[in-house]
Amino acid sequence: MDLGEGLVPVAVDQGLCVGGGICEMLEPAVFELDDDTVISSVIGDGLLPRSRAEAVVNRCPAQAISIAEQEQ
Amino acid sequence: MGPCAATDPTNVTEPSLYLQGIPHDRFARLRARPDLAWHPYESDGFWAVSRHADVRHVSRNPELFSSAIGHTNLWDLEADALEARRSLIDTDAPDHTRLRRLVARAFTPKNIRRWESTVRAIAAELLDEFTAQGGGDWVDMVAAPLPIQVILTMLGVPTEDAAYLVELSNYLVEGTGDAQSIPPDAFGNTTDLRLLPFNSPASHALFEYGEGMRQRRRVDPQDDLVSHLVQAESEGEQISRSEYRNMFHLLVFAGNETTRTAISHGAMALAANPHEWQRVLDDPALIDSATEEILRWATPVMHMRRTATADTELAGTSIAKGDKVVMWYASANRDEAVFEDPFRFDAGRANRDHFAFGGGGPHLCLGAFLARLEVAVLLEEMAKRSIWLEQTSDPQRARSNFVHGVLSVDMRPKRAP
Ligand code: HEM
Ligand code: SF4
Repeated sequence: MDLGEGLVPVAVDQGLCVGGGICEMLEPAVFELDDDTVISSVIGDGLLPRSRAEAVVNRCPAQAISIAEQEQ
Repeated sequence: MGPCAATDPTNVTEPSLYLQGIPHDRFARLRARPDLAWHPYESDGFWAVSRHADVRHVSRNPELFSSAIGHTNLWDLEADALEARRSLIDTDAPDHTRLRRLVARAFTPKNIRRWESTVRAIAAELLDEFTAQGGGDWVDMVAAPLPIQVILTMLGVPTEDAAYLVELSNYLVEGTGDAQSIPPDAFGNTTDLRLLPFNSPASHALFEYGEGMRQRRRVDPQDDLVSHLVQAESEGEQISRSEYRNMFHLLVFAGNETTRTAISHGAMALAANPHEWQRVLDDPALIDSATEEILRWATPVMHMRRTATADTELAGTSIAKGDKVVMWYASANRDEAVFEDPFRFDAGRANRDHFAFGGGGPHLCLGAFLARLEVAVLLEEMAKRSIWLEQTSDPQRARSNFVHGVLSVDMRPKRAP
């Protein structure tokens, strides 16, 4: 799959997420907190430019977000 | 602590040091050494983590540095006391994750924004009263009432009970120092004080109040935080009686002394640096950076403690399983390796990577976005009224190595200089 220049897929480990919502605040088009469980999940294609993906990975307090380096 | 703790230049825990403010020179020496210092404390000691990068490491590795062992304050609690007093803050995953999710929803940035008009109305009223009176004790008139009124509104405490809870909260603040003005059996308390948060009988009263609310919300749920907790319970999520009451207590207390401290130091910083306030008035886009700078500057919570779960290494220092490890946010927030000119109050500072809310990791302050909103809205309302602050007394500081508290400081509103 061609991900376009510099776009990387992000993933949320839902077991680690503590529901602070920082991801949703930074990247509302990619992360959404479930209304009931308050757990984040990736919505849409889940792709972000690498630098923004790294920023959200670093800001997540629970280390729940990772850049999913997919096998091609 | 020995009698010479205050004069021993490597000591950073002697509470009386903090009557003069954070002992920044001592922390600077700790940061300058290549390794971690072993700091004696009571009969034992702890590793003093003083650099920004090292605090981050400890904070973000909760499997290695536990919150559930011993205590998250410097001293250990006895096992029964720890069990009785354990709240969100003293747990590790998976308990932590379960409890945190019960309250997380209300505190996401998105949901916190909904409280903006509530916060604004409270801030406006307090500021109008402050100016009408021609000033007075800023802590008493603005810094203390703002956060408590906000959290009581969010919890759903009826306005007629607010004064009672404010009183309880003030007794708890006392419990963090060394003077308690109320007897052990105050409020009908019969519990051993060791088993109560802050060893305070006011905690018993707060537990009772929280229990009463729980029962009222069970039969008559509202759109408030207590109802959400009660609903979570009825929907089969696991929250025990003890967990509920400690959570209620934590929610009432955690945001009060902390936010009040930020607002107190913020006012002092603006009074001492009028050119920085001028910058904010000239460019309202600086409200956000000024808010972050106030939080960095104030560092209301000066440290948190963890306990090593295994032998490990940090900054070339071997840490043994069971050792106490103390993250000094007060030091990390002045780390010259991270913040340019760290002792300058810069309302436009671009680097917002301060650790006022902790160094990251799952315990990152639950109320961070609420506290930010309170500080930012207060600044906006001050700007709207063109309030300039003049400090008219020395601050009376708390005798505490934990909360960077200001007990009182007089301020007067003045005209633009
Ligand atoms: C300027 C104000 C505030 C400061 C400086 C502050 C600071 C902190 C710090 C340093 C921690 C520990 C972080 C860690 O161990 O990694 C914490 C945790 C916490 N704070 Fe705040 N706080 C503030 C306001 C609030 C408010 C308004 C609330 C509202 C309810 C709140 C609720 C909590 C709770 C519940 C925890 C425990 C979180 C956990 O263990 O998961 N705080 N806070
Ligand atoms: S930032 Fe991390 S912990 Fe917070 S909601 Fe997003 S994934 Fe969960």
